[in-house]
Amino acid sequence: MIIVKDLHKKFEDNNHVLRGVNYHVHQGEKIVIVGPSGSGKSTFLRCLNLLETPTSGEIWFDGQLITDPKINIDKIREHMGMVFQNFNLFNNLSIMDNITLAPVKLKLMGKEEAKENALKLLSRVGLTDKADAFPSQLSGGQKQRIAIVRSLAMNPRVMLFDEPTSALDPEMVGEVLDVMKELADSGMTMVVVTHEMGFAREVGTKVLFMDEGIIMEENTPAEFFGSPKCERLQDFLSKVL
Amino acid sequence: MQAWLEEVGRRFEVAFITGDRWKLYIKGLGVTLEIAFFAAILGLIIGTIIALMKLSTKRNGKKTIWARIANVYIDVIRGTPSVLQLLIMWFIIMSSCKNGMLVAVLSFGINSGAYVAEIVRAGILAVDKGQSEAGRSLGLSKSQTMIYIIIPQAVKNVLPPIGNEFIVLLKETAIVGYVSMTDLTRTANQISSRTFEAFMPLIGAAVIYFVIIKILTVLLDKLERRLRKSDNR
Repeated sequence: MIIVKDLHKKFEDNNHVLRGVNYHVHQGEKIVIVGPSGSGKSTFLRCLNLLETPTSGEIWFDGQLITDPKINIDKIREHMGMVFQNFNLFNNLSIMDNITLAPVKLKLMGKEEAKENALKLLSRVGLTDKADAFPSQLSGGQKQRIAIVRSLAMNPRVMLFDEPTSALDPEMVGEVLDVMKELADSGMTMVVVTHEMGFAREVGTKVLFMDEGIIMEENTPAEFFGSPKCERLQDFLSKVL
Repeated sequence: MQAWLEEVGRRFEVAFITGDRWKLYIKGLGVTLEIAFFAAILGLIIGTIIALMKLSTKRNGKKTIWARIANVYIDVIRGTPSVLQLLIMWFIIMSSCKNGMLVAVLSFGINSGAYVAEIVRAGILAVDKGQSEAGRSLGLSKSQTMIYIIIPQAVKNVLPPIGNEFIVLLKETAIVGYVSMTDLTRTANQISSRTFEAFMPLIGAAVIYFVIIKILTVLLDKLERRLRKSDNR
């Protein structure tokens, strides 16, 4: 579904963050990416929907070469949901408007239909009563659940998660992970950058270890945590587990 | 003491009452406000457009031709005195136009636009980058993200400095006498030379400016407080 070929990203300060990433995400997979900070995992994720423009390399999504400058990236992004570390709910809009803005403005749904759909999604995460609230009135965990709902309202084919629990108070991590687990069970294709090893083990179909701008190791969760091969990963796991 | 009071009363009468001169001040004030009002609107429109031009980037992050044009505009306008801009507009660019009001509004609007552009740009940049990333990640275009997400939040940021700019603009219009417009300042000046009496007309005009700007300040404060309230913060 997503094919990445020899992806490089060099920032303006000559920081070479991605040094040739190759990967193939299949439909229905839950890919969990772990690694030390500065390893390029977030940059890699942000390249997938071109929030970062790769310096070189190719990304294919559903058979389309999306790194082609001529492609309409807005159309592609309609099918790729993204959840951010800092939630990034629209501060000027109510929760309901946060969720319905994109589907309505992009003419995928009528206003009423979008509202109905939003309420359905809100009840799925147990936040129906917050429809008229503003983001500033919610807790971090609630904000992140809403952010997930906002992405889901577009009926995406794949969901990208960029450290979705890293900015949360510890007692709120669980409620967000629960929503993500439920989403995984529903068959959604997911790419998740996280530090939650428990989530990686439980939900991931594949776990990737990134360091120094490449994917150093890739394996099923059992193998990944049970018998890590490369030394860097063994070292990393000994520190985080 | 009484002689002094009588003297003050006589001066006041000469400056404001004799020949219904107070009507002239009101007329002058009307001209001042009219120029300031329309120039402020024009400045707001130009400023917003220039700010968006200056913020435009190519896909590779480089400046667009629009950004360069905006930069030149801001540099030129900020780099020359507004009196000169007004005179150039009156005697050179629009020398065939005898409508002083139009020339003044255009000149002040163009001038104010450069300052408003920088205010608006700062206001937009102050909105967290994550807001536009979230908008774009949902498939909204650059301009949709701007219109529905960024600009509504930027308005709150820019209100205090925009209010300041309006106040500066209102007072700056005092130079329109150069293009033979009779605004409040010129009225006061004319009356003082006609009556050989500078104190009352000039201080009177100053008080009128002060009161108008005080009212404007109070209104802007109210508006700002209302916007903050809807913030729910």
